[in-house]
Amino acid sequence: MMTKPRVLLVEDELVIRQAFEIILTNQDYDIDIAANGEEAAKLCESYHYDLILLDLMMPVLDGVGFLEKVNPAKNLQDTRVVILSNLSSGEAINQAIELGAHRSEIKANLGPAELIKLVSDELANRAS
Amino acid sequence: MSDKAAKSLLDTGIDSIEQVEFYRVLVNSIQDYAIFLLDTNGCIASWNLGAEKLKGYRPNEIIGQHFSVFYPEKDVENGKPEWELTECQRFGHIEDEGWRVKKDGSRFWANVIITALYDRTGEFIGYAKVTRDLTERKNYEDRLRRANRLLERQHAELGALNQAKDEFISLASHQLRTPATGVRQFLGLLLEGYAGDLTETQADYVKKAYDSNLRQISLVNDLLKVAQVDAGQVSLTRTEVDIAELVRDVVGEQASRFSDRGQKVTIKGATKPVMAKVDESKLRMAIENLIDNASKYTPEGGKVKVSLSANDESIKLVVSDTGVGIDEEHQHRLFSKFSRIPNALSEDVNGSGLGLYWVDKIIQLHDGTIEVKSKVDKGSEFTVIIPVDGVDDD
Repeated sequence: MMTKPRVLLVEDELVIRQAFEIILTNQDYDIDIAANGEEAAKLCESYHYDLILLDLMMPVLDGVGFLEKVNPAKNLQDTRVVILSNLSSGEAINQAIELGAHRSEIKANLGPAELIKLVSDELANRAS
Repeated sequence: MSDKAAKSLLDTGIDSIEQVEFYRVLVNSIQDYAIFLLDTNGCIASWNLGAEKLKGYRPNEIIGQHFSVFYPEKDVENGKPEWELTECQRFGHIEDEGWRVKKDGSRFWANVIITALYDRTGEFIGYAKVTRDLTERKNYEDRLRRANRLLERQHAELGALNQAKDEFISLASHQLRTPATGVRQFLGLLLEGYAGDLTETQADYVKKAYDSNLRQISLVNDLLKVAQVDAGQVSLTRTEVDIAELVRDVVGEQASRFSDRGQKVTIKGATKPVMAKVDESKLRMAIENLIDNASKYTPEGGKVKVSLSANDESIKLVVSDTGVGIDEEHQHRLFSKFSRIPNALSEDVNGSGLGLYWVDKIIQLHDGTIEVKSKVDKGSEFTVIIPVDGVDDD
């Protein structure tokens, strides 16, 4: 039996976390949730993720801080990292891409269908 | 010139009384420079017309007085005149710029050169002093310096304001979009049946709320795009792009919208590749905007035509429609911010009044132009011309 793809959602906004969890669980993915970069970094020590959906502006440790800490280019080579932020451009997104994130999307432009497509495309990218 | 001064000159090597007279006439006729001699103690021994004009003393009023009379009180207290003579003896000459005092007590900014004089036997015999009035230059320099300081301060203030604006844009984009994202997700969940089937009326209401939320997000996106372009934060990432393919893509993506509105869309000149060095994603958004506008402002059953042509230097894209058109009196503000032009369909069409402003800016960043021709009830024609070999700004 094939194992389910494992997705880590890093998002501080409760409402968005809940919505994304409902959508992705319904797609038969294993979802772990972290409310900030610190929690996410701890989860990454224990589990391997196929995909990380990473917010940028978060308390405790933000998205860029998380990427600096876990160094995905070196330590998470099999993991796709997608920035899902409501920042449209700027320093933080550029930094995140430089630190190893593969893609950046504006959260507000994603409805449930768009989110499902994004996750499925990224998991396919990982597989190829 | 006093006899003593004339004798001093003779002692410096000038050989005859005729030569002394020649130099007297020369020195005296110079009016823009105060030229005079000081004896070994610093007392004035000669006085030319330039000195009289500059400092206001007649020769009989000043000859014999110590030259410190020309210095401001504070300089005299600090021993500056004596110090200058000492330095002059030490180095042969000294040059100074500073405030000096005229007979009437007024000040002027002086350039002063004092030269130590020696006779032909090498004996020290006094000083030659040349003074120029540089008050006008000094005032000009002071004004320039003040203006420069003001500009520097304003530059720093503008920089800080610009940074504050950038931070505001960044924060506002996040804060405005985040709650809207939550609304979009949960309305989307309802519409897509995650919470079970909705009745027809429930689905209708939720769809209205969902569409309204999409408009809100789109408005925030437009505001941010415009704020970024206004703040100079938008730069182009140019690659070689097949504009023909881009146009076909955009029309293809919007095909369902055209058919929903019963409109016919045609593409001309986009069968062969038309290459240009452009920012693909930004130009795509600009073309999407133009084609979407053409459709939105054309009644059901109307036509939209997209024509592409190119020469060695530029590409030309024309988007024309058989729509409601734009009254000539409003055309000049079509590319202005927040300009929503009244027309037969404007009440039915949702728009921020920012789309064409942004399109114009993006075309300008590509060193291109956009023009419109339009007639009410006949339609509009937008013509975009962009150079083929775009060069990055930096």
